Amino acid sequence: MLTMRDTHTAFDTCHPAVPAAYFAAAILIAIFAMQPVCVAISLAGALAFSFAARGWRRTLKGLRWQLPMVALVAVANPLFSASGSTLVAQLGPMAIYQESIAYGACAGALLVAVVLWFEDAACVLTQDRLLQLGARALPTVTLVTSMAAQMVPQLLDRAQTVRAATLATTAAAPQGSRDRGVRVADQLMSWSMEDSIERADAMRARGWGATDCRSCYLPDSFRSSDALALAGIVLLAAASALLVSVACSQWRFYPTMPRLVAWWGYVPYMVLALLPTLLDLGQRIRWGRVA
Amino acid sequence: MSALEFENVSFTYPATDTEPHPAPVLEHVSLAVPEGAFALLTGSTGSGKSTLLRLAKPEVAPVGTLVGHVLAFGKDVRTLSPVESAQTVGLVFQSPDSQIVCDTVWHEMAFGLENLGTPVAEMRRRVAETCMFFGMEPWFRQKTASLSGGQRQMLALAATLAMRPRLLLLDEPTSMLDPVAEKDFLAMLFRANRELGVTVVVATHAPEPMRVVATCAFRVEDGHVSELSLEKAVAACAFRPEEVAAKSVPASGKPAAGGLTPALSLRDAWFRYGRDADWVLRGLDLTVPEGQVTAIVGGNGSGKTTLLQLACGSLAPQRGRVSRPHAASQAYLPQSPRAILSAQTVRDELMLWSKGAGYGDAQVTAMMGRLGLSDVAARNPLDLSGGQQQLVAFAKLLLTKPDLLVLDEPTKGLDAAARTKLARLVQELRQEGRSVLLATHDLAFVSAVADSVSLLFDGAVTCTEGPDEFLAGSWLYHV
Repeated sequence: MLTMRDTHTAFDTCHPAVPAAYFAAAILIAIFAMQPVCVAISLAGALAFSFAARGWRRTLKGLRWQLPMVALVAVANPLFSASGSTLVAQLGPMAIYQESIAYGACAGALLVAVVLWFEDAACVLTQDRLLQLGARALPTVTLVTSMAAQMVPQLLDRAQTVRAATLATTAAAPQGSRDRGVRVADQLMSWSMEDSIERADAMRARGWGATDCRSCYLPDSFRSSDALALAGIVLLAAASALLVSVACSQWRFYPTMPRLVAWWGYVPYMVLALLPTLLDLGQRIRWGRVA
Repeated sequence: MSALEFENVSFTYPATDTEPHPAPVLEHVSLAVPEGAFALLTGSTGSGKSTLLRLAKPEVAPVGTLVGHVLAFGKDVRTLSPVESAQTVGLVFQSPDSQIVCDTVWHEMAFGLENLGTPVAEMRRRVAETCMFFGMEPWFRQKTASLSGGQRQMLALAATLAMRPRLLLLDEPTSMLDPVAEKDFLAMLFRANRELGVTVVVATHAPEPMRVVATCAFRVEDGHVSELSLEKAVAACAFRPEEVAAKSVPASGKPAAGGLTPALSLRDAWFRYGRDADWVLRGLDLTVPEGQVTAIVGGNGSGKTTLLQLACGSLAPQRGRVSRPHAASQAYLPQSPRAILSAQTVRDELMLWSKGAGYGDAQVTAMMGRLGLSDVAARNPLDLSGGQQQLVAFAKLLLTKPDLLVLDEPTKGLDAAARTKLARLVQELRQEGRSVLLATHDLAFVSAVADSVSLLFDGAVTCTEGPDEFLAGSWLYHV
């Protein structure tokens, strides 16, 4: 956690509002589009960007639990909902239908896609960029979040020190893990309280509360190109949402699934889902050529 | 015109249940710091230096009765508006950990300016210029939690200077830093003083490293302040190893026993904090002889604290053996005494472990007398000065009568008197036949108490010698 961002993506050069809008749209559509093709597109987009931005190692590590989850939901769904028309197997009184398995697999894939989108978003919208978005509207909340964020690692570090200190003095070492936990918590509490007094002084010494209207330092500025990108994303997302809703309205799992057909209406959603990966790929190629 | 002027100032803390008639902390103090000066405010811990500094900053001034006038650039500081005050007088505190407010460096730099409602364009310019002056560009977008203590203290200085105060007050700014970080910090402070023309007043109990940059010095003693030459001010605060009783040969029989079974030994110890982390210790061998004081010196992040935690068993090596014959009777003093102080009064604090360690009221009273803590028995340990906190923590450990004492930076933040007291205590322990392992940057302390010094470098002990021999052969370390 040495630097703020551990990866570079196409969103680096934008104001954080642009990736925020993009991921909000991608996640919202992914959640509501319960249709095999849409789920496949969303999953492919999320997975591709995860490979591009988070790297294959972290992505594969995530898939280690995500793939079994898809399988689990696919298997579990028929056990709970016995709907459909194409019988696959009969387990005693329980009928397993093909539609039910498809529904489960689709739901599992959707879940994984949404999780992946969130992970992608967290990778691009690091906490400092996210806080900038709310800085103007919620200055105090932003500041408190910022303070809390720097104190969490400090607290964890101190917990380790306190634990080491209480355990190392044998003649006084606490008996039992509960006693130990209480003592560590107690110690941490008094340490933090003492610190907070000094921190409050440091804040007042630097003019905290000097004026009613604090100003707001934002390292990234919102340019017209950001507005343009934002508008483009909103338009594309709106078109995708409309077409996806059409696709979803014509789709049902039960009692029988209609046949999937190739349709131009999927194209905007495909563009939306794969856009950041394509931009990233473009950058990689350009850098590859330069180098 | 003086940048800071005290006109016949007296200050008394309010009466409490334990002290119905408190004596004044400062009495008829008059002093003047000329504009552009680099002034030292010296004195032992608890002498009232901090109180004096804080009186010049009404926002953080202690509660109590103030008589007289405190003037900054000819204006009574109490008549300044909060915005004026922030733009006139800056204050930097002691602890690098507790004065950082925000999570990122850029936000921390902007925090003070945001508070003053500075327009965005002006704010950007000031943050940029301050960063450039301090050479902080490489870490501008880093998280503050990832910075070292020295970097955090530098950030606190930069964030205060971003508000462009004409007078900068610093309360023991380097007492928590290691010698290298201290030099970096002072170099920056010196540049701010000479190049930006900021008047600097540093309260310190260890003025030695600042002697070359300071222009004038004051000494706070018994509530009075007097101006004196830099040499005298430094000499008055100096720690003298020779004042500690000369090392006597331990009681007969001890050395022989020590030669056979060490009080602690690490053999080929390898340690890292995570599977993907770098090795902190690489095949370290260390023997702490029975009944002796062994000192570990080494750079920042060389693994001294890790080594000590391995020595007392709170960490286990991934490879190698640690033999701890005194595991059932050892004590560990962490770098920050706050990690082991939690009771409401000093007496309660010292009684906290009485049940487990089998000592009583009488021993606690005797210990307080021995360490000069009787006067503060009823005070909250965390309200005491850093030096006194360290002594309380040390007393708490001594009461458990450990055979092996492991001390991490025991003299950090201590003034000369407290260091002398601590050195004598360590000597006494040694005479009682107890073994001590300590890690420190303080070579004067080492030369006063230690039997041997080991230099830790690249995760291993590079050399082990007697302190005199070590200092004589060292290119880097001096007393």
